[in-house]
Amino acid sequence: MKKYWFLLVCLIALLCTACSNDSSDEKKSEYRVVYSGEIKTLNYLKTSETNEFAVAANLVDGLIEYDKYGVVQPGLAKEWSSNEDATVWTFKLRDDVKWVTHDGKEYADLVAQDFVDGLNYVLDAKNESSTVWSATVVKNGEAFYNGDITDFSKVGIKATDKHTVEYTLEAPTPYFLSMLNYVCFFPVNGEFLAEKGGKFGTTREDFLYNGAYILDKFEPQNERVLVKNDTYWDKDNVLIDRIRYKYNKEAATVAPELFLRGEVDSASIPTSIIDEWFNDDKKKSQVRQTQNNFYTYFYALNFDPQFDAEYEPDNWKIVVNNRDFRKSLYHALDRVSAMLTVEPYNPQDMLSNTVTPRNFVDVAGVDYTLLAPLEPITSSDSFNKDLALEFKEKAKAALDGKATFPVKVLMPYNSGSPDWANRTQVLEQQIEKLLGADYVDIIVEAGPSTGFLSEVRRPGKFALLEANWGPDYADPSTYTEPFSVDGTYNKPELAEGYKEANGKTTYQNLIDEAKATIDTAERYDLFAKAESFLIEEAFVIPYAVGGSGYVASKLNPFEAQYSPFGVTSEKFKGQKILDKPMSNDEFKEALAKWEQERAEALVNATK
Amino acid sequence: MLWYIGKRLLQSVFTLFIIITIVFSLLRLMPEEGYLGAAAEKMSPAQQEVYLTNLGLRDPLPVQLGDFYANLLHGDLGKSVTYRTDVPVVVIIADKIIYSLLFGLGAVALSLIIGVPLGILMAQMKGRWLDRLGTGYIVFVVAVPAAVYYLVIQMYVTEIFRLPMLFDEYQPITWILPLLSMALAPTASYAMWMRRYMVDELNKDYIKLARAKGVKERTLMFSHVLRNAFIPMAQYLPATILFTITGSIYIESLYSIPGMGGLLVDAIQRQDNTIVQGLVLVFSSLGIIGLILGDIAMALVDPRIKLGKGESVR
Repeated sequence: MKKYWFLLVCLIALLCTACSNDSSDEKKSEYRVVYSGEIKTLNYLKTSETNEFAVAANLVDGLIEYDKYGVVQPGLAKEWSSNEDATVWTFKLRDDVKWVTHDGKEYADLVAQDFVDGLNYVLDAKNESSTVWSATVVKNGEAFYNGDITDFSKVGIKATDKHTVEYTLEAPTPYFLSMLNYVCFFPVNGEFLAEKGGKFGTTREDFLYNGAYILDKFEPQNERVLVKNDTYWDKDNVLIDRIRYKYNKEAATVAPELFLRGEVDSASIPTSIIDEWFNDDKKKSQVRQTQNNFYTYFYALNFDPQFDAEYEPDNWKIVVNNRDFRKSLYHALDRVSAMLTVEPYNPQDMLSNTVTPRNFVDVAGVDYTLLAPLEPITSSDSFNKDLALEFKEKAKAALDGKATFPVKVLMPYNSGSPDWANRTQVLEQQIEKLLGADYVDIIVEAGPSTGFLSEVRRPGKFALLEANWGPDYADPSTYTEPFSVDGTYNKPELAEGYKEANGKTTYQNLIDEAKATIDTAERYDLFAKAESFLIEEAFVIPYAVGGSGYVASKLNPFEAQYSPFGVTSEKFKGQKILDKPMSNDEFKEALAKWEQERAEALVNATK
Repeated sequence: MLWYIGKRLLQSVFTLFIIITIVFSLLRLMPEEGYLGAAAEKMSPAQQEVYLTNLGLRDPLPVQLGDFYANLLHGDLGKSVTYRTDVPVVVIIADKIIYSLLFGLGAVALSLIIGVPLGILMAQMKGRWLDRLGTGYIVFVVAVPAAVYYLVIQMYVTEIFRLPMLFDEYQPITWILPLLSMALAPTASYAMWMRRYMVDELNKDYIKLARAKGVKERTLMFSHVLRNAFIPMAQYLPATILFTITGSIYIESLYSIPGMGGLLVDAIQRQDNTIVQGLVLVFSSLGIIGLILGDIAMALVDPRIKLGKGESVR
């Protein structure tokens, strides 16, 4: 009520008085941004949205974190160990971590039971957690969630003493450590949670903090302000005092102008105005590329076509089961042309020849994509006119009398994404021109902007479709999930001619063998072999990795924690505000230096 | 009068029931993917089923509807699901209404203070420089899309006067531009209609007769012309004031004002059924109350209108 009176006084004051624009803010290290995607909750145990992870990561810590090279570091756990088959993991906690309230008052010490309470909340179906899929890695987690077990003590987590927490898993999980980078494994103070009930995480007051920052202000659709937590166990590494997020529905449009006026410290620069920035001497030095993220984009060929008869699904089913036909599409798709629709300056930087992106995982400093089975694919371009035409002739000969040409290739796109629409049309013209309209007839179709996946991809209403996937933990198996038997992508298990003696397909057997292997080097090699098979047989056409393109920012991206999955990459800890934004040349220089240092750090980490 | 208001309110309850029931049912036709958000890709079908069941979406529609009305009778509009999880809808709306009301009422007041006198002066000086200037302003505001001049004001006026581009409730200076922008269109509207009704009135026989009888121009204008000219505007004024609650989507977006503008669109996009239902109820009620108050206002300013059994303005 006081606030409302204040607002009223403000309104009257502005009509009656001349006001000055001076702000009386004391000079603190403050990072300011505008954003348009509002968070819906602070309850990190419920959410699966990236922008909510970004807030939670700065307010609450997990057991582990990563350094700027992606090497795992102690977080709330100071040390850990696992048994030989990676099914039991034990963590020793720090004893100097405090839970504090929104006003910085100490509430309780962090104890092992907090991790048990956190997982109990996530696995209780009535709490509607949307990261439960990750939490069910623990023994009996799925059974408890489904209600088959009601006694939580039977679930694979326990506090063996005040500062020791032990996880027992359903199956050997050598990458479990990386899964702890997800919010569903974060702690919560059980007493506070019980006291707040359904209100937990709805306001800054209904929340407890043990991370680098405390929420000083939380007004959805207006502003949120994070201030440094003075009781934080690692406060010397928190170098930004205040982080101010200002909501603006048109943030994408106004942010570049606000950045130029000095009202914000970071702004994405959309492709539509990137020319203007690069052609302006003053602006040019303030804009740089962003680091790619780990969303992988690929074109999936559908082995279970369920689209309308007018697009000849039966004919598609015949041709898609012919390797030469698939290979002709694989080599005909010009990925650079497609990428130019979103990245006119450095399209090659975003291309990916493999489903698993570069810099995701490594074996003793050797990147996964450079392991022997994948190296030839990684170091070449799938686009090859001669090979495309060669495979076209082979396919036509093999399918003569069996299939109808030109083959109708239904290629839907999400009508809510102009970039996707442009890309699809570019590819239609490019592929038809190269392979000939007598061979393929690419049919571009606008799909719904809402519910596209449930309307188009999941029911199989496509022949060729751009799809993507994001990783959930540090293991190549995370990128195999779209192609698993219960996957909802392109159903490669239905491809004809790949069944082996045990009734499973070659790809499934390769994956099963890899998953059953604990030794990292051997395991990754087997996954690389499976992925190489998937690509060589052209079940999918790897295309690109995600990334937002260009940014004007006063942050150095190479100071941030590096992690392709989970939430620690969202932390501001370790970062400081630069005096001036990084230029693109400086960015490229810093990237080369960082990659070199990272390779050394990864080698050292395995010693 | 009381009988008339009672009858209209009773009809309104029935109208609201129909509107809410239709909207409630239509919302249940939305794709379920929207409730799951990013988790849709990661959750197994079994996990998704448990999740949706817990949201109450697996109950038969009549049961869901019955629960909604039962809660409504207790003044409970429910809790948000996907917009601000677990926060009561009433709290979400209350937080935002205050901003929209302050700006909206400020804009209405400003436009009445400027627009009505401008219209009167234009009518009095018909065909002279002020009338032409006012007409030019009205034509500009009507012809140019509002989004264009809103954006121009924000980009250039803030630059010329070195003002912040974004609203900050604790900096009074940041209140001015949104308020002025919001008042531009209604000012033109009031001036245009006021001028038109005044000109119509000035040409009537009773005015000519009064002038011939030597009635002072000032008395003529304010006691006769203005009062009669204002009658048609009085009908829409209550609804205009009430609908300031809904906020201005574009102005609030541009200046980052955390008001009601865009809340309905956001809630629909996020498939937050409870907020959509709550807002439809609020907005429908405002519309109905606005109409009733408009009728009453007309009856108050025009003694010829009587609201009784079997009578109404429309």
